Amino acid sequence: MGEPPKEKPVTEPNRRSFHKFGSILLGSIIGAVLTIPGIGFILSPILRKTDAEDGESTGDGFQALAKLSDLQEGIPKVFPVLGKVKDAWVQYPEEPVGSVWLVRKGEAVDAFSAECPHLGCAVSLGPDGNSFFCPCHTSAFTLEGKPNNPVPPRAMDSLEVVLKQTPASDETEIRVKFQRFRTAIPEKSPLA
Amino acid sequence: MLKQLSDWLDNRTGYKHLISETLDEPVKGGARWKYVFGSAVTTAFMMQLITGIFLMTAYSPSSSTAWGSVYFISYEMVGGWFVRGMHHFGAQAMVILLFLHLLQVLIAGAYHAPREVNWWLGMVLLFITLGFSLTGYLLPWDQKGYWATKVATNIMGLTPLFGAQVQKVVVGGSEYGNQTLTRFFGLHVGVLPGLLIMTLAAHIMVFRRHGVTAPKSSTGSEPFWPKQVFMDTVASVAVVGVVAFFAIAERGAPLDAPAEPSSSDYPARPEWYFLSLFQLLKQPAFAGENEIIGAIIVPGAIVAALFAFPLLEKFIPRKLAHLLACGLVFGLTGAAGLLTMQAMTADSGDADFKISRDKADVARRRALFLAGNPKAGVPPEGSRYLLLNDPLHTGQQILEQKCLSCHYFDGKGVMERGKDGKKVMTRQVASDLSGFGSRGWVRGLLDNPSDTKYFGTTPQCGGMKRWKKTSKLKPDELDKVADFVASFAKVGNEETIDDWMTKEDVTKHPGLELFKKDCGRCHTVDAGGALGEGGEEEAPNLFGWGSPRWIQRMIRHPEAADRYGFLEQKGQMPGFDETELAVREMTVLMKLLKGDYIPNPPEPAKAGSH
Ligand code: FES
Repeated sequence: MGEPPKEKPVTEPNRRSFHKFGSILLGSIIGAVLTIPGIGFILSPILRKTDAEDGESTGDGFQALAKLSDLQEGIPKVFPVLGKVKDAWVQYPEEPVGSVWLVRKGEAVDAFSAECPHLGCAVSLGPDGNSFFCPCHTSAFTLEGKPNNPVPPRAMDSLEVVLKQTPASDETEIRVKFQRFRTAIPEKSPLA
Repeated sequence: MLKQLSDWLDNRTGYKHLISETLDEPVKGGARWKYVFGSAVTTAFMMQLITGIFLMTAYSPSSSTAWGSVYFISYEMVGGWFVRGMHHFGAQAMVILLFLHLLQVLIAGAYHAPREVNWWLGMVLLFITLGFSLTGYLLPWDQKGYWATKVATNIMGLTPLFGAQVQKVVVGGSEYGNQTLTRFFGLHVGVLPGLLIMTLAAHIMVFRRHGVTAPKSSTGSEPFWPKQVFMDTVASVAVVGVVAFFAIAERGAPLDAPAEPSSSDYPARPEWYFLSLFQLLKQPAFAGENEIIGAIIVPGAIVAALFAFPLLEKFIPRKLAHLLACGLVFGLTGAAGLLTMQAMTADSGDADFKISRDKADVARRRALFLAGNPKAGVPPEGSRYLLLNDPLHTGQQILEQKCLSCHYFDGKGVMERGKDGKKVMTRQVASDLSGFGSRGWVRGLLDNPSDTKYFGTTPQCGGMKRWKKTSKLKPDELDKVADFVASFAKVGNEETIDDWMTKEDVTKHPGLELFKKDCGRCHTVDAGGALGEGGEEEAPNLFGWGSPRWIQRMIRHPEAADRYGFLEQKGQMPGFDETELAVREMTVLMKLLKGDYIPNPPEPAKAGSH
């Protein structure tokens, strides 16, 4: 191969442009082979189907958080939500994955995710005990979860609640479907 | 517009000059295919750099997480198997290409003055690359990397004077663990790439200074761009193509079971290009005291000789020096080839190697299967516990190590090496444990206690056999008794005998009366004797028989009065306290006996991606 060049090696213009074009083409192929799978790799969190199905609460998604008798009319109380968490490759056993505020109104119960709709801090009780307050950027909410000042983009995220009579005793179980929502937007849009 | 922009940039940076200087570099005697090796190595290195950085975004260097993160890369992330496969085979390509580059430089005599320094820089690059491969091999923290690294660092420890200290620093102590991984990781992704880039830059700079070593007959020159660039690019495509081919054909890089420091028979082997050194150590000449010769002195002498090549011509004629250098390298290559072949044939002809490799493969498939199973998954304690907590894997191991020297399981003991060196199955001197505690086991016992599965191999336990001779129970009655006894296995750990005895399942069980009449003559269950007074012959207490609590007590205290304390001591089973059988081991053993584990899929999980 590579015949020894003549006295003065002159490569004809045709061959020169072939070499130029070829180098660029082949170089781009190498680049593509190396980077395209890598980009897919980096974008895995978007491209893969999520683990949501095997994580978080099981079954219908509702879990019993408390008994109706645990709550007093109009006094909010916070309860942990349990879930099986898969953190990339690690499978954790069932443990608290979030908190929910429950407010009793007669025979009904309101449930709010304790995750602030503003930027995701944990919402706590206001100093008066009669409202919700987020310590991060001072979002304030009424006990109905409505914004009390213009900081939060929307109301606190209410969660679905079912009240269920337990067969054994005559207690009423409060079952809540825990979900996470995107923060910082006016709509309540569930995270996959 | 574009022209204006590029002029502006050129005016500020002078990049056009830089590029033209690079591209118009004259190639003496014209472009040639044989000059492509250096570029091919550089491409291989760039490939490692790119894939390596991708991998770094997903890898986690600690002994509890490394394996899990590599599993996640290979089996769960999009394209992860390919990226890791490219990195794995790219590493091997780099070693091969470096070697070819070395051969080509050697044959062309491109190491002679004035190019000595560049030869040395090339040697340094070779060692940095081998350093990459040694450190990278450990990072998945799988069995293969763990054991190979242990061997390699122990060889390092053989070095005179500082060996032991160097080893301790590299390993991060005397135990292999988190510090070993973080250090190897730091070397692999920080120190070595830095060194390699600097050395490579110097190597290319020096190369530019002297140019290629053109054949004597050639004349004239030709610019680097575009013909030589084209040739280099074609070579690079070939390299990337071959590596991609292997990555796809092998479906990524292999991942062995998580590192298990307690393995007793893992057949450790280094990467194939270290096999010759590995085999060298196995030569009888380097046994014992002489180990250091094979491990350090011979390889060290070879390295010294390679470094000395450019200096030879100072003492002997250039032609002769060249001949000597080429002769030595070809001789060594041939010897290394022979040793490698020897290592391979030794393994393929070795039945023991095959057995332990098969065992390792079973563990590997099990670990990969469990890691991907939603009911299992890598536990937070660490990847190692994936198998340690698995009844099928570890329970079976414990059973083999601690129980099957006397008991059988499914008609088999374990193979043990006898005095004559031949492997024979252990002799059965106790019952067969498969199905112990199940209805089938009890029913079989009631049918024929003298069967080897039950008391056939334990003459000291004659009670059941004597009962059988006199018992008048008919098969349908035996069925009922078996049903009743098998229900004992459901007794919970916290359940008291009083609670249990008042359950309808017990008080109304069709087997209850038969049990009282026949079994209760010897066996007791409750202290009050409501289920039989016992006493006719001595026999173990049957409350909770076959349940974890019964078996645990049997294992911990076989000498207890409510177990087999009535036997003479030499006829008793030896007890296992918590130092001999840890709580964790007891748990998995119990689960194995109860069949409480995730069964393997019918088809063995394939290595590689899905
Ligand atoms: S996160 Fe709650 S106020 Fe900003």
